[in-house]
Formats: sequence, C-alpha cells, structure tokens
Amino acid sequence: MSAIDPAVRSRAASPAGGVSLKANAERFGLLAAWAGVVALFGALSPEAFLTWINFSTMFSSQAILVVLTLGLIIPLTAGDFDLSVASTMVLSAMTVAVLNALHGWPVGAAIVVALGLGFLIGLINAAFVLFFRIHSLIVTLGTGTFINGTVLWISGSQTVGGVSMALVDWVIVQRVFGISLSFYYAVILCAALWYFLEYTSPGRRLLFVGRGREVARLSGIAVDRVRLLSFIGSGVIAAFAGVLYAGTTGSADPLSGLTYLLPAFAAAFLGATSIVPGRFNPWGSFVAVYFLVSGITGLTILGVDTFVQNLFYGGGLVIAVALSQLVRKRQPQNFS
Amino acid sequence: MSRSRRIWTLTTAFLGSALLAASAHADPMAEAEAIIAAHKTMPAFTAPGEAFDAKACMKDKKMFVIPLTMTNPFNVQVSKAMEEAAAVVGFPFANWDNQLKVDQWIQGMAQATAEGYSLIDLQGGIPPEALLPQIAAARDKGVKVTTTHLYDVTQTKSDSLDASAKTNYSQAGKILAAWAFKRTEGKPNVLIIGSDEIIPTAPFVKSIQDTLKSLCPDCKQKYVNVPVPEWGTKIQSSVQSALVADPGLNFVLPIYDSMSQFVVPALRLTGRMGAVKIASYNGTPFVIDMVRTGEVDMNIGESIGWIGYAAIDVNMRALCGLPPVEVLNSPLYIFDASNAETAGVPATFNDGYGDSHVAGFKTLWGIE
Repeated sequence: MSAIDPAVRSRAASPAGGVSLKANAERFGLLAAWAGVVALFGALSPEAFLTWINFSTMFSSQAILVVLTLGLIIPLTAGDFDLSVASTMVLSAMTVAVLNALHGWPVGAAIVVALGLGFLIGLINAAFVLFFRIHSLIVTLGTGTFINGTVLWISGSQTVGGVSMALVDWVIVQRVFGISLSFYYAVILCAALWYFLEYTSPGRRLLFVGRGREVARLSGIAVDRVRLLSFIGSGVIAAFAGVLYAGTTGSADPLSGLTYLLPAFAAAFLGATSIVPGRFNPWGSFVAVYFLVSGITGLTILGVDTFVQNLFYGGGLVIAVALSQLVRKRQPQNFS
Repeated sequence: MSRSRRIWTLTTAFLGSALLAASAHADPMAEAEAIIAAHKTMPAFTAPGEAFDAKACMKDKKMFVIPLTMTNPFNVQVSKAMEEAAAVVGFPFANWDNQLKVDQWIQGMAQATAEGYSLIDLQGGIPPEALLPQIAAARDKGVKVTTTHLYDVTQTKSDSLDASAKTNYSQAGKILAAWAFKRTEGKPNVLIIGSDEIIPTAPFVKSIQDTLKSLCPDCKQKYVNVPVPEWGTKIQSSVQSALVADPGLNFVLPIYDSMSQFVVPALRLTGRMGAVKIASYNGTPFVIDMVRTGEVDMNIGESIGWIGYAAIDVNMRALCGLPPVEVLNSPLYIFDASNAETAGVPATFNDGYGDSHVAGFKTLWGIE
C-alpha cells in the first residue's frame, strides 16, 4: 500500500517525472505563510516577537489545541464528525480535578478514569452512529450537550481548583529547551498519528473508509469496526487533551474549555490544505495551529484589540483555504 | 469688596486648594494603605435605611427572581441566600432556573407576570435592555421589576426598572489599584483584564486606571478586553504576549476573579510566577484557595449570604413604598495570605466574613 495518496502523488509528479512546483506550493504554502507571519511580526516588533521566550511560550501554550485537533482528525479522516471532542476534554479535566482535588484520589488514578471516560464516550458515539445509523453530526451534538450537563452536575457548576502540582509539573513546569513538556507530548502524538495513518494497514483502512465507504466495504474492509475505533481514538485523545488542560490551569472550569471546539475544527480544515493537501493530516494540523497562534500573538504584542484575533482566525482560515483552491485550479475538495 | 481684595481672596483660595490637592497626594503610599486598611477589617453591619415591619409589609406579597444563569455558582448562591432571607421574613419566593438564554428569561418574565408575583428581580447581570417589552408588560400589570448586583454605583439605572441596588465596583477598583501600588513599593506596571460586555466593567476599569494615575502618574498600565466566552482561549495568550512585549510588567489585575485560572498558566509558562503578582475581585472560593496556596496575591470578596439579605431588603423596600436603597449593603473584604484560611479549606462563599448581617437585617426588619 502506498505511503502517499495516489492523488497527491499524481499531482506532485510532473509529466517529465520531476516534482511539480505547483504541487509543492500547495503542500508547503501554509508553512511559507507561517514563515511570512513570523517575518512580518519579527520586523514590526523584533525585540518582543523574535525572542525565544515568545516562541517557547507559543509552543507550550498551544499543545492542548494541537492534541484536541489530532483527536478530531481521526473521525474526520473516516468521514465522520465528532462535535463532542471539546465536551469530552472538559469532562476529562473536570474528572481529574474532582477526583484528585475534592476526593483525594492519586492523580494517576484520576487520569486513568478520565481516559477511560474518553474511551466510553467514543464507544457510545460509535454505538449510536453505527447501530441506529444516525449521522455523526447529530449524535455527537447530542452527546456533547449531554456531557456538558454532566460536567455542570459533577462540578456543582463551579470551577474546581487544587489539582495536584505533580500534574502541573509534568505538563507545563518541567521544560526541555525552555519549552514545556506538553508541547513534546503533542509532537509525539502527532508523529505517532502520522506514522499510523501513513505506514500501518489500519491507518490506510481508515483513509479508504473516509474516501468511500461502499468501495471500502466491497474491498473487504470492516467499515463499521474502523469507524468504531476512530470514535474511540477521538474520545481518548480528547480526554488526554483534558488531562493537559487540567495540568495547565491547575484547575477545571465547567464551561470555558468548550470554546476550543471551533479553533480545533479551524486547525483541522486549515491543516488539510497543507503537507498532504486534500486530506486531514497531523502535521498539517500542527502547522495550522502554530500559523494561527503566531499571527494572533504578533497582533497581541502590537497591542491590537482582542476582536482582531477573531478577524485573523476566521479570515486566516478562509483566505488560506481559498488560496489553496486557487493553486488547485478550483477543483472541488473532498476532505476525508 | 474692592478689586485688590477680591484678587487676594481668589489667590488665597487657589493656593489653598492647590495645597490641599498636594497634601492629598503628599504620601501616596499612606493613601494606598488607608484604602486597603478600610477593607482589611472584619465587615460590620450598618443599616442601609430605616427599620420597618417586614412581616406586615410582605404579608400578601411574593417575589420572583430570575438569575443570570444557574450555571454560574455566584448566581446560584445569591439566589439561595435570597431564598433563605425570604424564609426568615416568611413570604413566598421563587427562583427561575435558566442557562443564560434570553428565551428562558422571557419565559420567566411571562410566568411571573401571569402568576401574580409582586416583584421580579433580575439577579446578577441580566441587562434590562434585553427584556424591555416583557418588563413593560409586567409593570403594566403592577409588578415591580428590579435588578440586583448589576450596575456600578456611578451608573444610572435603566428607566424601565423600579429599583436597582448598585454594587460598589468603583471601590473594588480603587482597592485593586492601591494593592498593586503597595505590593510593588510604589512602582506598579499593571496589566488590567476586563470584559467590556459586562455592564459595570467600564467604571470598574476606569476606577483602577484613575486611582493608579492619581497614586503614581508615571506608572505604566495597559488594559486588555477579553469577552467572557473567550476567557478560556484568549486570556492566557493575551497575558503571555503582554509579558513578552513588556518584561517590566509586575502586576496583573483580572477584574473578575475566575479569569485568574488562565492568568496563572501564562505566568508559569513565561517563567514569571512569583515575580508578577495577581489581584482580583469577586471572592469566588477556588480563587481564595489560590490566594491560600500563593498563586494569587489578593482577592476582594463579598459575602454571598450578605448580598442575598441585602437584595431582599432592597426589594422589600421597593414593595413597601420606602425610600430606595441605592447601594447594595454588601461590604468588600480583602483576602490575602494572612487570612485566606478563614474562608475555609477549601474556601466557601460565606466563611470568613462573619455573620453580623443576619442579626442586623433581622433587627432592621423587626423580626428579632
């Protein structure tokens, strides 16, 4: 089985067998845009933006969003939506906080329970989608709302503080090259997911299922099992993002983490325009997160109002995808 | 009066006022310490108005409260405290459960009006402008409409309301500014974080800015607006960027204390924990816990039980035709490392403030 999508390979190779400049422009366009953003803000505010503390802080603080996006792209690759990822993340963070801070459980045991809940949520999502044949958008919208209610219930609608400092240490206090460990967890997960999708047979099956369920079924792939595992993967990774969230703030808030849902979708779709264009891919998502955060950080350092961040987030997403389409000569995109 | 005498008088008056102004700021540190000291002592009850027979006045009346949202513990606890105070007086009281949805508020207004409640209290943040037709309909039926814990003392209430007990956010702003000034030994370089869509934010922030300017005209200050729905994603990044852009920053004032949980990771990630201090307002229990553990330097609290009793007092006065109480009788009290434990371990909404308000209000209402 090929490591590179046949469509990508055909686009990347010129008729003469060389590498197409256009295909590379599409693959690395977002990376170039990221470099452009860094150069622009570096020129405008070199003493603040072009400092290691700025970059190390950016890398460290966005690890939660990277991990959540990685969780999201697994069902997206299989052709399913999971709108419950942010809720799962918040439930996981709240579970760690409630068990550890309020009930005195060891933080390790609390993390195991939180990850187990992520597994269970993935299983429930898959059960409703696959057994009742309901669209994933509807099921995960419902389960996400149900989870939000559960979080309010178990937390008494309150922020729960006092999460073990051991977790905080292992998430943001301990550093390598000045960057918190949370960033390296995200990088390791990104590499593992990339390897899984590119070089393993279950990973390739996931891609086939996303490209065409009927074709995959006729090819002998157990489509339902693949989709089941994709939901479970999404739930567990979202729960892991929740563990990082609790470790970052040292607390758990029943509501604020829900705002990560749209940035995660934005990063997933923006990431699908680069590295492996037309396909949700881990490194593309990784680059997308840091492209967006670099722009936002630059604007904040320049003292621009907060609403401009939204303009950059929304505008950046639409413009990047539009430029990618121009390079592709406006062919319809079939994300999977 | 001769012309020369008039000039002399005017000159003397001018010099006198200039001297007075100068003496007022002769020792800004003493001024800051005086502001802080006034809020470090255990709150004592002072009657917000004349005594009255609450039981007799409320005999045939009932009250309906619509909190901003029951997903916010502050609103939940205020409603509970109001219910407790209503039970002390002995009149029917209903709380409208909702989750920050305008259609739910509208439904609550309609239900209270239809069921013949005497008063509807929009508790803890509902802007009356969002419910103008419903408020008008209720008032047409003789229902009084009030707000609790919405406006700052410097703001004018909406004409659509019968009464509104305002909160002294401006004083909280003064305390925060004075605290930053004192804790940095007169050299604050402050980042203020607020949410402009919350009604009292503007005067609250202005009070901090004006007090800082008054205590220390040359000190640096910067304001960042982060809307409430974006606290989880934008506060941390905004603080990080501000710290990178200005390494001399030494104090962060997130004006609503639940913001603090996103400021702390920004300080940790930039390696500025301890060097940059945090002070805030609200007295939310988990933030008082953060004061106890040293992550937050100071938090200004209000006893929620006190707020509940004071709100019921204001509403009863509106129903009984007594002169209105303009400022909610809920004192501001400073929690720092020296007294955070008095709020409980873990902290609660009511511990640490004493309970002089319970006996005080009961006496005022002629119950004991």
